[in-house]
Order: sequence, then C-alpha cells, then structure tokens
Amino acid sequence: METLIANLAHGFGVAFSAKNLLFCLIGCLIGTAIGVLPGIGPVATISLLLPITFGQEATTAIIMLAGIYYGAQYGGSTTSILLNLPGEVSSVVTTLEGYKMARNGRAGAALAIAAIGSFFAGTVGTVLVAASGPILTEVALSFGPWEYFSLMLLGLIISAVLAQGSVLKAIAMVVLGVGLGLVGTDVQTGQQRFTFGIPELSDGIGFVSIAMGMFGIAEIILNLERPEAREALKTKVGSLWLTKEEWKRATPSVLRGTALGSVLGILPGGGAALASFGSYMMERRMSKYGHEFGTGAIEGVAGPEAANNAAAQTSFIPLLTLGIPANAVMALMVGALIIQGIQPGPRMVEAQPDLFWGLIASMWIGNVMLLIINLPLIGMWVKLLEVPYRYLYPSILIFCAIGVYSLQNNVFDVYQTALFGIFGYICAKLRLEPAPMLIGFVLGPMMEEHLRRAMLLARGDPMVFIQRPISGVLLGIAAIALIAMLLPNLRRKKDEALAG
Amino acid sequence: MRLNAKDLASAALLMTFAVVGFWINAEDHAIGTARRMGPGYMPMLAFGLLAGLALLVFLIGLFNGPDPLVPWSRTDVLAVLAGIGAAVAITWILALQPGAISRNWYPLGFGLFVGCLIAAIAERWRKLALVIAGMVLFGIVLDVGGLFLAIALCIGVAATADETQTVKGAIALILFQIVLCWFVFIKELDIRVNIWPQF
Repeated sequence: METLIANLAHGFGVAFSAKNLLFCLIGCLIGTAIGVLPGIGPVATISLLLPITFGQEATTAIIMLAGIYYGAQYGGSTTSILLNLPGEVSSVVTTLEGYKMARNGRAGAALAIAAIGSFFAGTVGTVLVAASGPILTEVALSFGPWEYFSLMLLGLIISAVLAQGSVLKAIAMVVLGVGLGLVGTDVQTGQQRFTFGIPELSDGIGFVSIAMGMFGIAEIILNLERPEAREALKTKVGSLWLTKEEWKRATPSVLRGTALGSVLGILPGGGAALASFGSYMMERRMSKYGHEFGTGAIEGVAGPEAANNAAAQTSFIPLLTLGIPANAVMALMVGALIIQGIQPGPRMVEAQPDLFWGLIASMWIGNVMLLIINLPLIGMWVKLLEVPYRYLYPSILIFCAIGVYSLQNNVFDVYQTALFGIFGYICAKLRLEPAPMLIGFVLGPMMEEHLRRAMLLARGDPMVFIQRPISGVLLGIAAIALIAMLLPNLRRKKDEALAG
Repeated sequence: MRLNAKDLASAALLMTFAVVGFWINAEDHAIGTARRMGPGYMPMLAFGLLAGLALLVFLIGLFNGPDPLVPWSRTDVLAVLAGIGAAVAITWILALQPGAISRNWYPLGFGLFVGCLIAAIAERWRKLALVIAGMVLFGIVLDVGGLFLAIALCIGVAATADETQTVKGAIALILFQIVLCWFVFIKELDIRVNIWPQF
C-alpha cells in the first residue's frame, strides 16, 4: 500500500510537468472532438496522430494518445443525448435513453450524469490499473513462453468471439492479420519473408499504414457513400444538475456500470463499446425502474456511460502488465511503444516507471480535465457538428498522407496506405472486421517468437502447452469461448448486444 | 441452398491470400521441424489455417444466406477491370524505363492514379477512386512539386468525391490546410520535405 502511494506520487510528479499536462489536455480535447464527430473514431485518430508523437518522449506520447481514447468516450455522449447522434459506437446506447431524456426537458441532467458517472468510473478504473498493475506484473514475470503463447491465443480468440458479426470470419481475419504480420525479416535467421525484394518491406508492413488505411481511409469512403443526416440542436440544455430523485436513481446504476465496465475492459476484444451495451442490458433487467426504459430513464444513461469509461481505463491493464493489446486501440498503443523503442510487457513497470505511473496519474488528471472541458463547454462542442463532412474528410486525408510519409520520408508508405484503404473498403463491403486483423497483426510476430522458444525447450512436443497448468487453463478457456459461440442461443444474445 | 454472396466472396478473398502465401512460403522458406522451426514454419501454420477457415466460410456461405451483393452493372465491371488493368500495365511499363521515372515508386504511383481515374468512370467506384487518387497524387507530386502543391492537388482531387462540394469551399479548404499543415508539420514537427517546387 505504501509503495503504491509512493509510486502514484512519483506518477503525479511526472504527469504534472508542464509538457505532460499540456499534451494530456491536447489529447483530451482531440478525443472529445472526435467523440462528438460521427464518422471518425479513436482508432483512426490515434493512427493519424502516431507520426506526430514520434518527436516526443514516450511518456508524453502515450499520455496524449491515451487521452484521445478515453476523451472520445466522454465526447460521444454529448451528441448522443442532445442530437440522437452517437459520435462513437460506444455511445450508441446512450441515444436510447439520453435523447428521450433531452426530449423530456432533462438534457442537462442527462449530460451531467453522463459526465459525473464517467468521471467516477474513470477514477475507479485508474485506481484499478494502479493497484492491479504491479500484482499482475509479478505473475507475468513467472510466465514462460508456453504461458505467453497460450495467453495470446486466448486473447485472439476472445477478440474474435466478441467481434461484431460472424465469429468464423473474425477468426479468419485474425489469422490473416497474423499472416500479414509475418512479412519482413525473420528475427532468428535474418531471412526475408514475403518481401518480394522490396526493401521497404524488410521491416514488415507498416503498422501505421494498415491502421490508417483500414480505419481512416476506408471509413472516409464509407461515410461519403452514406448520406448524412444531421439536425440542428433544438433541445434546450437546461440546468446541468440533478434532482434529489435522479441522484438516488442514478447512483446504483453508476456503481453497477463501473463494475461491469471494469471487468469487460480487461477482456481481450472487450473495451468500451461492449461495456456500454452490456451495462444497458443489465440496467434494463436489474433496475427497479426497468419499465421506464425507452421513455428516458436516467439509469440507461448513467450505467452505460460509467461502463464505457471504466472499460476505456481498465483495457490498459493487459497492455501495461502483459504487453498484450485488448482491442484495436491498444494494438495501436503497442505500435506506438515499439516505435518509441519500448517493448511492452511485464518489465515495463520496472524499466519505465515514469511511463507506467505517469500514464496512470495522467489518466486521472485527464478525467478531471474532461469533466471541466465537457460540462461548461457543451455549446462549443455541439457547434463543431456544423462543420460539414465535405471539409472534414479532405483534411483527414491530407493529415494521413503527410503523417504516413513522415514515418520514413518515403512515398511508398503513402501508396501502401492507399492500397490498405481499398482493402479496408472491400472488407467492409464483405463484412470482414478489420479490428481482429489489426490485433492479429500485432500479436502474430510475438506469438511466433514464443512458439519457437516453447517448442525448442519442449523438444518439439506440443503437449507441453496443455501440461503446463496455467497454459492449459488458458487454452481451456479459449476452447470454451469457441464452443460457446457455436451454441445458437448465446450467439443470438451476442448479436443482440452488439447490434447497435 | 441459400447462397450468402458476401460470405462466398469473403471466402474467395481469404482463400487467395492463403494459397498465395502458402505457395510462396513453400517455395522460398525452410520449414524446419517442430522442435527447430525454420522461417517457414509459422507461415505454413498461419496460411494453412487460413485456407481451412476460408473453406469453412465457403461451405457455411452456401447455406446461411441469402445475403446478396448489390449487382454490378456492365459499366461497373468494365471500369474496375480497366482500372486494375491500367494500374498493373502502367506500373509494369514505367518500372522498366531507364531514368528517374522508374525510381521513387513513381511507377506504382502513376499506375494507381490512372487506374483510379479509370475506375471513377463508373459511379459506383467514384468516391472510392477519387479519394484514393487524391492520396496517391500527393505521393507523386510531393518530391518534385513540394508539400504545398501536393496538398493543393490532393485536396483538389479528393474534394470532388463529395457532390455537395463547391469550388469556393475547396479553395478555401486548400488554403486553410496549407497554413495548418505548414504550422503542424514544418514549424512544429520539422519533417524533412520540400515545401516549394524543385526545378
């Protein structure tokens, strides 16, 4: 406990430097902005801004990128409530009750509980990260290559199982991602694999190119094909405070949402969207006011908003302790760390205390900032929606182009990104999810390394993965998750939860 | 049989990756043994598994439909075929030329650009093609034409993908982005790139 406080104090020392505070604020502002704007999400934005962070120190870079992610969870609620227009997937359910509340003249209350619930959940999430970090790190340090391989396999399978749409296609996309991740120089023999003699590919396919192309560029084209329907703000915000009755009803929902979100955030493939859907379903069933759902029940705002923010925080846990990304945003964080020369994994706490504790402290500071940014400035954020998409998308495109070029000062990366843009468009049309592919791409090379080491140590006997107890349990869970999805009943429930 | 066209097309796409990957791997890389894996072992597992999954997607796609793709018109088919053909041919021909045109990925850039313009003839591909063409044009122009010209041309082409766009709006956007990109990328981040055209 004492070391935890000492460590947190150290973290606040790092986070309170003028530069880190500034970049935390920038991250939160950008996050809120993209949260408000439909059609651009955290994955695209973070890949867009990755190149900009290279000049920064690793800690500063990660603090800003993290701010974008959890900032987007705050921003998304604003337009959901006021305009029935979710800026992010994770705030789709907020439209259900939040917009109804706004129509009932309680917009201010809905916005307030969304922000306060998010803040509370964010605080709890941050404490969880801080408390569980060192413990999980201890456990992880005792892991051999067997455990790592099984853990990553479990992560990939759960992320595929929880992905939208067909589980089978999601698994295929994971495997395709693993395959793409193998392009480049083989670490152990130095042999070039699948590079076709292209020197630019000898370090592998550019991670930023894939993320930008499949999430940024492809999204632009899909958005252009969808006619946009934006309505002006008609609802009055009203008082930004809750009545006593509302406090009483919302508090348990915030608590439940925080608990559920914290758990779902840690799961691979979980993250904010799943958490908010899950919480909405739970509130409808567990709340005393379940019958009011659909007419503007405050529980339906408080629970999901707390859940998505808690999940946004706790999804950092597997990344910071095991080096394993839980979702596509975290996969980008892995990329950012590797580009900075830091190998994410259990040694990060020891080797990079500034980064680890600084990030945790900055998350809490960022949550305070978001509370301030959001509530009084709501009018400004809603104004942002008046920027038409025809000005927005060429701007996104040009930032992508310059950003990806500046990675290696090579136009090859620009063309590569454009090609992944086309590929991402095709995948979207065929309902092949890009997120599992990105996670597979990041984890693939790590899995290969652990697999090789494990099999060498085990003298080529694959049974070792089952015989090692922790590894065996992890594989067992993976198998159960897969089998569970074969049951039509469960699958239907998942589809309902993710339908949005 | 209720065909799921989206799944069948997905299966074909995945299978193509699997077969090409598996084949190149078998040709080029030593597989090794399970104990001492060569550089080809993991690719063999990955692409083999991918082939199996693609087959499953195909088999299930025969029955879990119907989920048809929007049918392509004749123009759609011709434009996409001509676009791909032109892209490959131009890349190929330019790459074999002596001199500056075959360097700096110009062949790929010009190939993609022309290919996109051809594909844009069909209305169905226009948005996709124009956005991609804008980005590719940025790459073509950047080294010789400099950053500002590249920004202007990229936005100029990509902006046409939205029918509601106005000439005035596009010009204003170009000017705004030139100032913004100069500030962010040149002044603050100091990336190494020509700003003005090189002669």
